[in-house]
Amino acid sequence: MRRAKVFSGSSHPELANNICDRLGVPPSPVVLKKFSNQETSVEIGCSVRNENVFIIQSGSTQINDHLMELLIMISACKGSSANRITAVLPYFPYSKQSKKKKYRCAITAKVVANLLSVAGVDHIITMDLHASQMQGFFNKPVDNLYAEPCVAKWIQDAVPEYIHGVVVSKNAGGAKRVTSLADRLKIDFALIHTDRTREPRRNTPNNSTTCVTKIEVNNVEIVNDMDDEIDDVSTDHLTDSTASIISDAETNITLVGDVEGKITFIVDDMIDSSGSFIAAANHLMNKCNAKRVYVIATHGILSGDSLKEIEGCRSIYKLVVTNTFPIPPDKRHQISKLVIIDISATLAEAIRRTHNGESISYLFDTAI
Amino acid sequence: MATNSIKIFAGNSHIDLAKLVAKRIGIDLSRVMVLKYSNQETSVTIGESVRDEDVFIIQSGCGEINDNIMELLIMINACRTASARRITAVIPCFPYARQDKKDKSRAPISAKLVANMITVAGANHVITMDLHASQIQGFFNVPVDNLYCEPSMLNYIKINIPEWKNSIIVSPDAGGAKRATSIADRLNLDFALIHKERKKANEVSRMVLVGDVNGKIAILVDDMADTCGTLKMAAETLKENGAVKVYAIVAHGILSGNAIDVINDSCLEKLVVTNTIPHDDKKLICTKIDTIDISSTLAEAIRRTHNGESVSFLFSNAPE
Repeated sequence: MRRAKVFSGSSHPELANNICDRLGVPPSPVVLKKFSNQETSVEIGCSVRNENVFIIQSGSTQINDHLMELLIMISACKGSSANRITAVLPYFPYSKQSKKKKYRCAITAKVVANLLSVAGVDHIITMDLHASQMQGFFNKPVDNLYAEPCVAKWIQDAVPEYIHGVVVSKNAGGAKRVTSLADRLKIDFALIHTDRTREPRRNTPNNSTTCVTKIEVNNVEIVNDMDDEIDDVSTDHLTDSTASIISDAETNITLVGDVEGKITFIVDDMIDSSGSFIAAANHLMNKCNAKRVYVIATHGILSGDSLKEIEGCRSIYKLVVTNTFPIPPDKRHQISKLVIIDISATLAEAIRRTHNGESISYLFDTAI
Repeated sequence: MATNSIKIFAGNSHIDLAKLVAKRIGIDLSRVMVLKYSNQETSVTIGESVRDEDVFIIQSGCGEINDNIMELLIMINACRTASARRITAVIPCFPYARQDKKDKSRAPISAKLVANMITVAGANHVITMDLHASQIQGFFNVPVDNLYCEPSMLNYIKINIPEWKNSIIVSPDAGGAKRATSIADRLNLDFALIHKERKKANEVSRMVLVGDVNGKIAILVDDMADTCGTLKMAAETLKENGAVKVYAIVAHGILSGNAIDVINDSCLEKLVVTNTIPHDDKKLICTKIDTIDISSTLAEAIRRTHNGESVSFLFSNAPE
């Protein structure tokens, strides 16, 4: 690629290297470090004057540091007379906070979009946004790529009996994503719904006290819960706080559709805490007699002990994620059920096409 | 004298609703003349002082939609230049709300464009109802209050569908599943889902019902009904699967094209819409349409906004 530079942030160097391999260019030199007072420092190691710059930075566990790093890198390139700066965010940070959930929440995804624009970005490439409406948060073009073609290809290659399978959404909000995959694979779909109103404790002061205790017990968890879908919250809350004493019948999980004797794929855009996935898988295996359960998600955030919990859950046969979000090797080795699909080819092709001014719609339907 | 009192202006799109809202609040609509020059340009004359007042402009996205948007923008701007203290655009049905994402290559995000236009015209606050996607709130740089018809719908179901305890809530497409489950939860009912399949080889589009409706009253729930083709097909699918009666409850009844004929031909028992969009003329030729009045929710939201009170109460309760 002539007149193009690809930089990698420190969030996910492995993915950036894969992308650069595909593109046939080495990652451009950049020194990323922190001063002793924890300020991020960026030194661009080569001229970017009049070049098309691509900066690859995913969300990660140190999300704010890496976001700041990305903003500084963009700003540094802007100040160095780059022709056009494209931020490649395989996982868009804060994408779950994309709407006001009833009471006085900030739309943080919009704030991140504003920050990127102000830093000087000209174009965004991302993947499987939590809500595709987020493209409207930017005044700059956004290309939202899909992992679905790669996921569908994996299913077709790795699960020979998939044609008798069922794709399952673990909440109503994900129904559209699931039907799209089901249509592509030409198989049936089903929906799991967790009734939170029928839970006796809901809307009573009791419920809020439970939540408060949770904040004290586990700070990380509550962050998960807050930006999680409301549906997830109650499931997580049930599985976490009331442990496994509660059987499925009491958790008010309902399956709409038929999975008896079939292979099921629970599909979502991201998997963070595992509670709701495990509850769904248990329900499918124990109550609905599914044959096997695959959990498939594009972004494998898997914070806390989720990996261990999934490894320990007998109902889940495999956990399939893409490599948009970095999973450290030591964590990866904890779990034998984990399958990682490499989507660097899709991102590389999007970068190549963007640089050459070619259409990228081809990538929406085709696995590279 | 700065009174900072409420001034409510109504555009031409839905004066009946504006009157109902003003009546609820207990004031008259402020005087405004909105007309068109012979060359079709919109002309707005604000008929009374708005200096240092709290202005609310009620305009829905319906009918001559582009004219109505232009009217709203000019009215906002007229109040802005006339030194209004604060201008709130009350848009019961947000125009272009369905064009909220790049669902196809090169599709414009027109909802974002409308949001930008409203902000640039000078609105300080937006009140709207049942946005097609709540992420549209993020398109604005000013606060947006997205109210819900759901509490009013629940009341309607409990009062007007006597057999509601034996009913099932159905979403006519996968995207609306969340809305349907929310209502099903509040009523303690089951729910089902209809999906239009497209990509099966050698097959025309068919509807797949996921869930069991046999022997039950099916209540279809969606956020808008436009040409009603989907609702009709969904109702037929439900009947084929053994539903006794099929009701449809929809927030925004756009009912464009030959929607009325479609409804009259369909096996729907009732089509219930809210009055975010005027449809009185359509009710005369279609007896199946029923209306939920949501003016009280809007009026209460305006009153609370003016007094600086919280509006969260309205998210789960319908004011009397």
